[in-house]
Amino acid sequence: MLRLPTLLACLLTPCLSAAAEAGPAALVAGLKRELPARTPYTEVRFAQMFDRPLVARGELEYLGAGRLGKRVDVPYAETTTIADGQVKVQRGTRAPREIALGQIPELEGFLRGFSALLGGDADTLARDFELTTRGDGAHWQLSLAPKDTRLRRRVKSIVVDGAQAAARCFTINDADGDSSVMLVESLAATELPKPLTPHNLDLICRGVLAK
Amino acid sequence: MTVRARRWLLLAGWVLVLGALALFVQRTLNISTDLRSFMPPAQTADQKLIMEQIGEGPGSRLLLLAIGGIDETQAAELSRGLVAALRADARFDEVVNGAFDEDVLADDFLPYRYLLTPSFDAAPLDADLLAEELAMRVEDLGSPAATLLKPLLPRDPTLEVMKLAERWSPPKPPRMREGVWFSNEGEALLLVQTRAPGFDPAAQGEAIGAIEAAFAALPDRGAASLVISGPGYFTTLVNANTRDEAQWLGHLSTIGFVILLLIAYRSLAVLGLAALPIASGALAGVGAIAAWFGEMHGITLAFGFTLLGVAQEYPIRVLSHRRAGASALESVRALWPLLLTAIASACIAYLAFFASGVTGLEQLAVFTISGLIVAGLSTRHLLPRVLPERFRDAADAPGIASAWAFVERMPRPRWLPPLLLIVAATMLWFAPTPFWENNLAALTPVPKDLLEREGRLRGALGAPDVRYLVVLDADSADGVLALSERITPAVEALVARDAVEAVELPSRYLPSLATQERRRQQLPDRVTLAAALAEAQRDLPFRADLFAPFLDDVERARTLEPLTPQAFANSPLGTRLAAMLVERAGRWLGLGTVVGLRDTAAFDALGASTDGRVRLLDLKAASESLVVAYRERILHAFAIAIVLLAATVFIAFRDIKRAWHVLAPMTLATILVLAVLRIGGVSLSLFHLVALTLAAGLGLHYALFFERQVPDVAEARRTLHATLVCIISALLVFALLAWSSLPVLRAIGLTVSLGVGFHFCLSILMARHAQERGNGD
Repeated sequence: MLRLPTLLACLLTPCLSAAAEAGPAALVAGLKRELPARTPYTEVRFAQMFDRPLVARGELEYLGAGRLGKRVDVPYAETTTIADGQVKVQRGTRAPREIALGQIPELEGFLRGFSALLGGDADTLARDFELTTRGDGAHWQLSLAPKDTRLRRRVKSIVVDGAQAAARCFTINDADGDSSVMLVESLAATELPKPLTPHNLDLICRGVLAK
Repeated sequence: MTVRARRWLLLAGWVLVLGALALFVQRTLNISTDLRSFMPPAQTADQKLIMEQIGEGPGSRLLLLAIGGIDETQAAELSRGLVAALRADARFDEVVNGAFDEDVLADDFLPYRYLLTPSFDAAPLDADLLAEELAMRVEDLGSPAATLLKPLLPRDPTLEVMKLAERWSPPKPPRMREGVWFSNEGEALLLVQTRAPGFDPAAQGEAIGAIEAAFAALPDRGAASLVISGPGYFTTLVNANTRDEAQWLGHLSTIGFVILLLIAYRSLAVLGLAALPIASGALAGVGAIAAWFGEMHGITLAFGFTLLGVAQEYPIRVLSHRRAGASALESVRALWPLLLTAIASACIAYLAFFASGVTGLEQLAVFTISGLIVAGLSTRHLLPRVLPERFRDAADAPGIASAWAFVERMPRPRWLPPLLLIVAATMLWFAPTPFWENNLAALTPVPKDLLEREGRLRGALGAPDVRYLVVLDADSADGVLALSERITPAVEALVARDAVEAVELPSRYLPSLATQERRRQQLPDRVTLAAALAEAQRDLPFRADLFAPFLDDVERARTLEPLTPQAFANSPLGTRLAAMLVERAGRWLGLGTVVGLRDTAAFDALGASTDGRVRLLDLKAASESLVVAYRERILHAFAIAIVLLAATVFIAFRDIKRAWHVLAPMTLATILVLAVLRIGGVSLSLFHLVALTLAAGLGLHYALFFERQVPDVAEARRTLHATLVCIISALLVFALLAWSSLPVLRAIGLTVSLGVGFHFCLSILMARHAQERGNGD
């Protein structure tokens, strides 16, 4: 009675685990870009504090390990640069504000993960996050769940949707239910769905709801 | 009962009484280690403040901690663990590591933030201000800091709690890593304020022990190491070092002393018995203090034992002067008048200390007088009755005859003493250093590498200077706060022009009642604020009812009574403010701490513009002036003591010439010791004075005994034997101390060793019968 399932399990398990291991690593490695990597983005923020989603547009920039830039053009002007453990925020014409990343330790882990993701560094990523993949080469989804308990209290998961070797959406799900969806590269200039809900955005990211 | 049995019974009784006394002392006596109880009572309000602040000021109770030896993530984790453990310990007033403390204002104090914050002083809390703030919050929510801010926003859209937390963080905070303070060397930094005063070594030792234990109990320590620094740590360290070295040297000299007595008297029994009088004296002295004061200062104990060293001579004299055909009791009777003169003159001299009005010196007097009397009386009445009947005549001791002949043959030129006096005077005149050492800390120096580490940590932490305080004087606590607010712009100007790195004034934590009241009245009512809020968020995505908790808080703030310092004391930062406000004789003093003072004169203008109600207090200069005042009192006591001693010797002898032959060598020897110390570059301190006193006491004995007319050469040899044993035993103790690495032990050791040598030589040189030699024997 027991023999057949056991045999099946023995046969299947190595294949499954190999697939799971190769999956995220290959996906992440495929995301690696020539430096500097830039992409326009459209960000939709859903927050309980807001009575409507906030839409922002601008450009994302990746300059190498631990160095990120994010420029907001609409609806306000802001440039955030992260380098050498310092976050510099410049708003409009005001003097730039500096925050030491060390002040918010969980954020440091989060940005380390983001940087590893953009750098195609699967090993670093796997150290800080639990990785799972879904889908096939045409449309795939990579989920990152933080391992650090303090970060988990703030961020539930980061989900990357993509097609072939390109990311289409970065979704950050906060632990409190808020989320922010960033459409990048091919989707950056796409027309937003109506009504603008997380569900409709998800369909766009997964390529189900084509424009 | 046989003589032998009676002797044993008496001995047993004596030892039993000593045991009982030791038990009583151990039960009743408290040893205090607070340096200040040895200091004179403060006279003026300022001196009181200094005495208090030297030990209890906010700066001197700070301990600086650094966790290193492991990577920053782990060090940060240990830092958080240590903070949690120490905050639960009542021995610490405050423990901070830089982590943002959301409880910086406890829940019931939260509405008060609108009275405490200066944010709305320039521009009122209206639609314009809210619109600008809320627009920034929208941006904040898209920034990396969003997760941190979200829980605060509905109640606090202008982030007043964060602004206050920033205002209350140290003026020059260290850099942040992993959420806590870090040094450039990669150590996690913490600041700990002990409840105990900084210069109470015992209490500080306890606090440091608690920190080390808490650190040792942390999980996952790995190779991490904890470094502690700060005034309290140094006090403890220096005390332990001094004690260790004194103990080590003490053991060594005890062994030498035992060997010496064995060689001199060739009897184990004598060795044990000789210790009884001085043990009796010491226990009696401590017992008298226990009964009289209940508490004794550690310094009194150390000084007292040093001064009581004179009493070791009593049994030695008895042992060396035993002669064939006479019982021990008969020998003692022959010596007693001289011993009594020595004891009485010393005791009467110490009475001057008792009249000094300084508790520490009064205790010293009670200890020494009762100790000397008991040691003397037990030598006179008890020791001879328990000594074994068999003994060796010291006059026949090997080598003593030739030593005596050598001493006798020595030339004794009459012109030598005046010449020595001139030489000494010249040496004193040309001495290269200041006469007095006013910095007591110079005698117990902290190792240089530790001082450098302290400087590095203090710099990294931006911890306040221990030396300076800004003192604000007003007739009430609120008056201090108002004054503090008034001078804040001027102080900020000083910081801007780099006269000082930072100054922390009391109003930084709590504004005056008037300021709070003004802010309260400027707060809009609920209807006005709700309208302003609605207008401000018109173009923003915030939910309409999101900020209801904010409206509630502002409305509550409008009904609050302004916070008094007393009420603020219950808040998490209450202890910090309490340390900055001191009541003194009906007036209130505010104490501001100073970081990195570069220009002390810059504060003079501040004093002038406030009619002297604000001034910079230099604790080092002030404490040195206290030491000077203290020394003056001690010198007065010494002067009276010398007069009393001379008078006693004159009265005892009723012969000016004899008294002169005793007092002259003593005086000249003391002057010579001073001269040698001074020409060697030594500046004198309290410890030197005590050592000089002991040496003079010993010198009095030498002079008295050499001056004595003896019936035969054998007795003269016995005198020499006794004196040599006394001198060698004194040198065994003090010459060893003179080699110590610690200046305080060296000061005592060197002074007494020199003293013993000079007193011995001069009392032989200037003895009366020496000049009458030829018709003498």
